[in-house]
Amino acid sequence: MSLAETDLIPFEAPIRRTEPGRTLQALPNGDRRRRPRLAYALTAIAGAAVIAAAQLALSTLTAQSSYELAAVEAQQRQLTLDQQELTDQIAGLSSPQYLAANASALGMVIDSSPSYLRLSDASVLGAGTPASDRSTVNMGAGNAAANSLIADTPLVTDQDATVAESSAPSLPEAVPSAPPIDGGLPSPATH
Amino acid sequence: MNARTGRTVRRRTVVAAVIIMIVLLAFVVRLFDIQVVRADEHKEDAQTVGNFIGGATLPGVRGSIVDDKGQVLASTSVQYDAAIDPSLAGDVNRLDDSGDEYVETWGRIAERIGDIIGMEGAEVEEVADDALANNADAEYISLKKGLSTEQYRELLEIDAPMLILEPQKSRTYPNGAVGANLVGFTGADDEPLAGYELLENACLESTDGEITYQRSADAGVRIPGTTTETPAQDGGTLNLTIDTDLSWYLLQMLKEEVEVQNAQAGSIMVADVKTGEIKAAVDYPTLDPNDPGATDADDRGAKALTRSFEPGSTFKAITAATVLDQGAATPLTQINASGYEQFPNGAVVGDSFSHPEYAYTVAGALIDSSNVALSKIGELVPDETRHDYLEKFGVGQKSPIDFGSAEPSGVLHPASEWDNQTHYATTFGQAFTVTMQQVVSAYQTIANGGVREPVHIVDGCERPDGSTTEPDLPDAERVISEKAADETVDILENVAAQGMLADQISIPGYRIGIKTGTAQKTDGNGNYKAGVYFTSMIGIAPIDDPQYVVMVSLDEPRRITSSSANASAFKKAMTQVLKNYRVPPSEEPFEPLPKFKE
Repeated sequence: MSLAETDLIPFEAPIRRTEPGRTLQALPNGDRRRRPRLAYALTAIAGAAVIAAAQLALSTLTAQSSYELAAVEAQQRQLTLDQQELTDQIAGLSSPQYLAANASALGMVIDSSPSYLRLSDASVLGAGTPASDRSTVNMGAGNAAANSLIADTPLVTDQDATVAESSAPSLPEAVPSAPPIDGGLPSPATH
Repeated sequence: MNARTGRTVRRRTVVAAVIIMIVLLAFVVRLFDIQVVRADEHKEDAQTVGNFIGGATLPGVRGSIVDDKGQVLASTSVQYDAAIDPSLAGDVNRLDDSGDEYVETWGRIAERIGDIIGMEGAEVEEVADDALANNADAEYISLKKGLSTEQYRELLEIDAPMLILEPQKSRTYPNGAVGANLVGFTGADDEPLAGYELLENACLESTDGEITYQRSADAGVRIPGTTTETPAQDGGTLNLTIDTDLSWYLLQMLKEEVEVQNAQAGSIMVADVKTGEIKAAVDYPTLDPNDPGATDADDRGAKALTRSFEPGSTFKAITAATVLDQGAATPLTQINASGYEQFPNGAVVGDSFSHPEYAYTVAGALIDSSNVALSKIGELVPDETRHDYLEKFGVGQKSPIDFGSAEPSGVLHPASEWDNQTHYATTFGQAFTVTMQQVVSAYQTIANGGVREPVHIVDGCERPDGSTTEPDLPDAERVISEKAADETVDILENVAAQGMLADQISIPGYRIGIKTGTAQKTDGNGNYKAGVYFTSMIGIAPIDDPQYVVMVSLDEPRRITSSSANASAFKKAMTQVLKNYRVPPSEEPFEPLPKFKE
């Protein structure tokens, strides 16, 4: 037996099976990987960043508003104190005794019963006399209605006097009297 | 990958996971420890050390008292109390503008404080030293109370760490003594002590609220959304019926009259006939509620409302009204009376001036104010009737004003207890006591056509939510017939026009009616004082349509001891009332009634 007749491959050659329809081929572009989509990644990162930024902004704004609130409250406290000070200054200036002292320093009088002019028939009701120079109350003789709020406040009409020591000014020599009304009340002569 | 590398990888993964789990567990345990186990400790820390919780009281505002036009008689304001912490009283290190350190001595600070509050620097230091001498651990000693807002701000500028400033609610009375006897005053701590501040405290008082919040430690800024608030309740506004401007005039005029007549005190009361509102109730002397300590304790009340006295001749008009209403007499009925008479039952009655027997009419008896004649007029009706009419006119019961426990109800004995003298004395206003508002109320009834409107000073209480509470007043009641009332008013006009004071009290252009009264005062030992009287004069105007009742009383005038002393004051008061309310002058002429029967 020669080597040439020997079967070099002692096994049986495998049976090459070919299944219908299946051919094995090498892939044309075998080593190309699928690239990840950039858009999705960017969106995810951007979204996270936006959420973080929004949360930061909102908490900053909220905190900012409470600082503003504190500033405004401090301002309100100062304004309330201002208002209290001003109210203290003007307290008592609207009181009747202060008004009367001012009027008395100008020479005004509270006189006896008034007269009324009735326009419908131009008649004078009541006493019909002008006010005299004597007042029925005399603030200069002493203030009856004590008021410690205005005890030291100078009068508006006489800066040297206070409510307690107001005095009426002296009258001029000749006090002009009002002209008598006869022939009805004067009326404008217009058409 | 082969099996061996797979195992290594798996092991590393497990080891990593275990380490992570251990760290996570540590965090969980720590979290549990902080939030659950030590929660209370941390909360306390936050409050005490960390200063994370802030709170404040929201002060409620006490209600104002206003007059009939809404002018404020009493309102709330803020004052400050200054105190010193003696443990901090010492030199203070400060930085000046350029950043250098300097020392401000305690003496210098004390002087600056003293300048503002009106004390010497040495006095301020003394206050601190005394506190430390008493108690070495002293941390608070009061320095001065009642500082104004201006002083408070100046003290804040000193920036003294030992100075403690606290706000206090206080009341301010813009009109001072005007209306003060009715309004009253408050003491320390805003506590009402007298007058309507005290009587109507339920209307005026406020409740404080509270606010709590969490805050940041450094700036003390509130964390939004963490605030809880209990709102404060403000007090309501008390509306009074009095007229401030009229009250001022009456007070000033009354002071001058009391001084001219050399009296101890005086009162004036003005009432509106149609509604029973008291437009003025003025006393002299009176207090300034901004400084109540400056007047005597006796003068701090409302004597016009709390003084009771025997009315005297002013009640002769009520006797006449009683008799006229019963139909037992007319204004022209003849009554013969002399200046002094002894009656069959033994009682003795005398007039204020001696005269022979006159043939008075009922009108004349009141014009001359003859006690004898009134005794005879009073006898025309039984005692029981006169007693009942006095009760219906309001004698013996507290008036509807109800000014607290200080207001007396007056004393009226039952008719069965009247002795022989009292039987006659009650016809001319003795043997029973009244208050000024009871006399004014009786005359209001007569002037209002016989219908009694309850006299009152409080109009109502207006709460901050808008609701109004009105006082519980009795209904209007008819006491005498309109005819009897008109006849009595006519008689009073004749007293004004024909009486002995006619010239002193006539007001040009107006028809008025008056009655005087001179009452004896007890000396406290069961006897009457000699020579001094409690004089009163009461009037109604205008007669053609009565609108106002004015009563002026003087306590023991000495210049003129009888009720003539009141004439000038009454005229000025009535003139001012008519002027203030723009009452038009009377146009119908006055037709006098005869004084004597021909």
